Amino acid sequence: MFKILAMLGNRKYIIFFLIYKNLQLKYKHSALGFLWSLLHPFLYLLIFLTIFSHAFPSIQNYPLYVLSGLVFWIYFSGGTSALCLVFIKNAFLIKSFNIPKTFYPLTELGGELISFLLGLIPFMVIMYFMGLHITLNLLYLIPVILLFSIFIFSVGLILGSLNVFFRDVGILWNTINPAMFYLSPIAYPANMVPERFKFIVQYNPLYHFLKIIRNVFYDGTAPSLHYMVNCLVITTVTALIAFLIYRKIRNGFISNL
Amino acid sequence: MESVIKLHNVSVSYLQSRKGIHSLKDFILKASFIAPFQKHRVLHHIDLDIKKGDSVGILGPNGSGKSTLLRTIAGIIHPEEGTLQTHVRISPLLALGAGIELELSGYENMRIALALSGNYSKATRTEMMEKVSDFAELTNEQLRMPTKMYSTGMLARLSFSSVMTANPELLMIDEVLAVGDRGFQKKCMNRIHEIIENGATLLFVSHSPGEVEEICKRGICLKDGKKIFDGTSTKAAVVYNKLFD
Repeated sequence: MFKILAMLGNRKYIIFFLIYKNLQLKYKHSALGFLWSLLHPFLYLLIFLTIFSHAFPSIQNYPLYVLSGLVFWIYFSGGTSALCLVFIKNAFLIKSFNIPKTFYPLTELGGELISFLLGLIPFMVIMYFMGLHITLNLLYLIPVILLFSIFIFSVGLILGSLNVFFRDVGILWNTINPAMFYLSPIAYPANMVPERFKFIVQYNPLYHFLKIIRNVFYDGTAPSLHYMVNCLVITTVTALIAFLIYRKIRNGFISNL
Repeated sequence: MESVIKLHNVSVSYLQSRKGIHSLKDFILKASFIAPFQKHRVLHHIDLDIKKGDSVGILGPNGSGKSTLLRTIAGIIHPEEGTLQTHVRISPLLALGAGIELELSGYENMRIALALSGNYSKATRTEMMEKVSDFAELTNEQLRMPTKMYSTGMLARLSFSSVMTANPELLMIDEVLAVGDRGFQKKCMNRIHEIIENGATLLFVSHSPGEVEEICKRGICLKDGKKIFDGTSTKAAVVYNKLFD
């Protein structure tokens, strides 16, 4: 652990510039730049508010319910898709610079995290008008976002590593990704799902994350311990799998990129 | 002279997907769940001792393991067997198009290349950037353009200059000289000689025995991942030419 930190310290410029590069590439070719990234959640929000606002009477304050889920969903979906391509995109750098290969997914997610946090500011303002409770409980966002980011990193590392060898992993993920949106209780309440299909929702890792996210944003409380532990277990297991897969095949990256 | 790079019995293998499997579809159809990957050996038992200040040309037919040898020394690939010791600050491998992000401008690429090669600090930033643009002979206007608008020669100038202007202890060049025009080639040759005279070590991969003879004192010849010759560059060029007779 200390070794990793020391290594990061020595190479802080590398980390900084890789993140800088990712952000530059992301927003360079659009006049509105960063504002585009706000458009995506905003458009979905409008759709849900106009079409579904009366569909789920069981949810009090539906706008806040949707928005809190949506913002985090977009972080997940954008982050995993970006990480899926990260090694392929950086093939030339990987082949010529002797820097740890984990820096590429780390900095890619770093860029995504920065956009997500910047986007969170205007959306928190909107949420405030929707009835978000501004309390000290919002500080729980820090561990929640941290845990969620590690989860996204682990999923992305699995996808990105496999994608080097099997290029259709990326295509497959593009199909699964939207499907997961509908399988996660983002725009609808989880208790709406028929009893015999409940397991689909409950085995979806995002369900547990949405729970703790909504504890903070929607209920204005601390995350429930039960779901927090679930998320911790999910993240640890995913990270372990990701690490094992990555370690097994990383030496083959160069010849397959 | 002290050794700066020492390879002892180094073998390198690549992981290749078996039966040309490059997608999950193939993976399932060809049902190769048990061993989807196989090892393919690219370097066989290489022994190499490079002293400080050596200038070594590496010759060999395509696919003989030249680039792999450089990447192994640079620490980008890890040897499967054997030991590798380096006692020198490793600078990035200089290969065509290495690390150039086509969407970004010349300046941005320059900054990233300097940072990645560990030659970036706030104090020397402006000075380094100036040196690089001078060496590359690219104008301010050109350096502001996205590099996707560059010609191949301009790209080579850019990546070349970012490495050449730093004072590398070990310079590794992988077939990049061919791209620039004659003027730039000459300039690079001069700079390479200058770097060697300053006591740096050079590893130079090329397909041109003439270039190797001109720049390097020592020459190595590789074939099918094995070292078949190690001696003076003149003799290495002869061995290399004989391979194609």
